[in-house]
Amino acid sequence: MNVSLDHYLMLSAFLFAIGLCGALSRKNAIIVLMGIEIMFNAGILNFVAFWHYKYFAVLTAQMFAIFAISIAAAESAIGLALVIAVYRHYQSIDVDEMRSLKG
Amino acid sequence: MDQVYKVAPQLLKFLSYLLGWLPWIGKPVAGFLSNPPAWFLLAVAIAIPILFVVSVFPGIFAYTTLVERKALGRIQNRIGPNRVGRWGLLQPIADGVKLLTKEDIVPRSADKFVHFLAPVIAVIPSVLLFSVVPVGAGLVPVDLNIGILFAFAISTASVLALFMGGWASRNKFSLLGAMRAVAQVVSYEVPMVLAAVAVVMAAGSLSTLAIAKAQGGGILNVTHWFVFRPWGFVGFILFTIGAMAESARTPFDIPEAESEIIAGYHTEYSGFKFALFQLGEYLASIAMAGITVTMFLGGYNGPGSGPGILGGLISMFWFFAKLGGMIVLTIWIRGTWPRVRVDQLMSFAWKVLLPMSIVNIVAVGMWHYIAIRPIAWVVTTLWLVLWFITLSKLAASENIEKREYRYAS
Amino acid sequence: MEIAFWILSAITVIGAILAITMRNLVHCVLSLILFFLGIAGHYLLLRADFLFAVQVLIYIGAVAVLILFAIMLTRHVTGTEGPREVLGGKWWAGMGTAVIIAGLLWAIIRKDPLAAMLPAGMASTSVTEIGRALVADWLVPFEAMGVLLTAALIGAVVIALEEVIRKR
Repeated sequence: MNVSLDHYLMLSAFLFAIGLCGALSRKNAIIVLMGIEIMFNAGILNFVAFWHYKYFAVLTAQMFAIFAISIAAAESAIGLALVIAVYRHYQSIDVDEMRSLKG
Repeated sequence: MDQVYKVAPQLLKFLSYLLGWLPWIGKPVAGFLSNPPAWFLLAVAIAIPILFVVSVFPGIFAYTTLVERKALGRIQNRIGPNRVGRWGLLQPIADGVKLLTKEDIVPRSADKFVHFLAPVIAVIPSVLLFSVVPVGAGLVPVDLNIGILFAFAISTASVLALFMGGWASRNKFSLLGAMRAVAQVVSYEVPMVLAAVAVVMAAGSLSTLAIAKAQGGGILNVTHWFVFRPWGFVGFILFTIGAMAESARTPFDIPEAESEIIAGYHTEYSGFKFALFQLGEYLASIAMAGITVTMFLGGYNGPGSGPGILGGLISMFWFFAKLGGMIVLTIWIRGTWPRVRVDQLMSFAWKVLLPMSIVNIVAVGMWHYIAIRPIAWVVTTLWLVLWFITLSKLAASENIEKREYRYAS
Repeated sequence: MEIAFWILSAITVIGAILAITMRNLVHCVLSLILFFLGIAGHYLLLRADFLFAVQVLIYIGAVAVLILFAIMLTRHVTGTEGPREVLGGKWWAGMGTAVIIAGLLWAIIRKDPLAAMLPAGMASTSVTEIGRALVADWLVPFEAMGVLLTAALIGAVVIALEEVIRKR
C-alpha cells in the first residue's frame, strides 16, 4: 500500500478537526489562536499534497501555500497583539469573559 | 555526499586490501568490500560525511575552548591553562572528565521533562547546521538547493532550547536570560538574513556550494571573494555582527551576562547538561563562522585550490585556515570589547544594522546593473559610505545626555 | 516513504492533540512546535524543500516564539491554569461540531478516492522556479503580501501599544 493523496487528505481532515475542536472548546484566547494555526496548517498541507500528486508542473499550489503561510504569520501577530490589548483591559484572556462591547 | 559516493568504491577496495590479511574473517570481508552492493555503497556515502561532521567539529570545539582561554589569558595579561599536558594541550579532556563526573542537579520546582529536553535540543540544530557547510571543493555533506535558507531556518530553532532551558528552571534569572536571548536572536536574525540576501543575489543561488563556487577564479583564486567587493565588505561586517549576536558571543552575551543575571538561561544547569549547552553554543558559533567563510571569504577557494585530490586537499586546508581565522577573530573581539546594554543592543539592531543591510541590497542591485566595473566600484562605494555616515549620525545623535554624577563629583 | 509518512503523521497528530489539551500553556506551545515540525517533515516528504524551510523559519522561528512572548506578557510565568478553567462554557458544542466535520470530511474523501486516478510525481521544484514565479506570474499578489505584512506589523504595534499612548 503506497501513500496516496487520500492519506494526506484524511490526515489533514483529522488535523483540521483537532484544530477546530481546540479553537471552539478551549477557554484561553491563546489556545484558540493555536487551534486556528493548526487548521491553517492542515489546509496548507492539503495544498502541498495536491501539488505533489496532481499539478506537479504547475506552481500554483506552492504559491498558495507560501501566501497562506505569510497570511497566517500576519494573522497570528495581530491576534496576539489583540490578546495583549484585551489582557490589559480585562486582566484576563478568557474568551468567555469578553462579553461587553464597551471599551 | 555525491563526491563521497564516487570515491567510496576505491576507499572500500583499499579497506579490503588492508583487511584481506586478517585470518578467519579476512577473505569474506575483503570479498564483500571489493565488490559491494549498492545499498552498502549508499550507506557508506551517507555515513562518511556524518562521521566527519560528528568527529571533526566537536574536536575543533574542544580546542577552541583551549585557544579561547589561552588567548583571553594573554589579552588580560595572564598565562591561561598550562598545567594539564604541554601548553595545557590536554585541558579539554580534563574539562570533559570534570563535567561528566559532576553531579547533575535539577531544581526541585523545575519542570523536569522540559529541563531535560532543553540541552538536547540545543545541540541538534547546531550539528545540523554543518550539513550545508562546504569544507572543500565539492565537499559538502548535503548540497541542498535551499542551503542558506536551511541554515537560517535551523539556526532559528536554537532559540527554543534557550527558552525551554530558561523557563523550565523556574528561576527568575534563568527566565530573564531566556527572554533576553529570544528577543536578541529574533531581532538579529533580520539583518543577518538580509545581509545574506545580498550574497544570494550576487551568486544567483541559495546553494552553499554554488555560492562558494561563484567566488573562485581571479588572481590566485582570491580576487573574486565577495569580501573584496564594496557590498560584500559591508555584508561581511553585518553578517559577522549578526552571527556573533545570534550565538551570544561576548559583546552580545547579555543572555548570560555574569554580572547581571548570574549565568542566564543555564544558571540551573550543571554537569553534562551544562556541557551540552556549551557544546551547542560553540558549535553554532563555529558553524556560523563556516557559513561566513563560505559566503564572504571565498569558502574553500584559495591559491592552489581546485578539482582533483591535491586541489581538494588544498581547498580543505584553506577552508579550515579561514575557519580558524574567524574563530580567532571572535575570541579577539570577546577579549577586547565591553558588553553592550540591552537597549543599546536592540536599537543597534533595528536602527543601524537593519537599514544598512537594506542599503546593501540596493548596492548589489547597482553593482549588477552597472556594466563598467570602475564606475560600479565608485558608485556603490559612495552609496554605502554616504548611508553609513548618515545612519551613524542618526544613531549617535539621540539620547546622549551629559551624565549627572549624583554621588561622586 | 511509507514508514516516514506514518511516523510523521503520528508526530503531527500527537502534537496537535497535546497542543489543545494540555493544561500548561507553555507545554501547549511546545507541543504545537512538535506539530509544526511534523508538518515541515511532511513537506520534505512531498518534495517541497522550499516550503520546509519556510515552515521552520516562519512557524517555529516566528509564530511559536511570538506565542511564547504573548504568554509571558499575559500570564504568570509558570503558565499553569487552575483545574476548572480550561474548557469554555459551551465546550460540548465545539467538540460536537469538530466531530461532525471530521466525519463529513472523512465520508467525502472515502466516497471519491482520488488516489486511483492520479499518478504520483517524483520530481522536485527548484527554488529558482519559485523565485521566478513569485516575481513574474505572481507579482501582484506578492506585492500585496508585502503591503499586508507591513500593515499587520504597524497594526500589531499600534494595538499592543494603545494603553501606553493613552496614559501619556
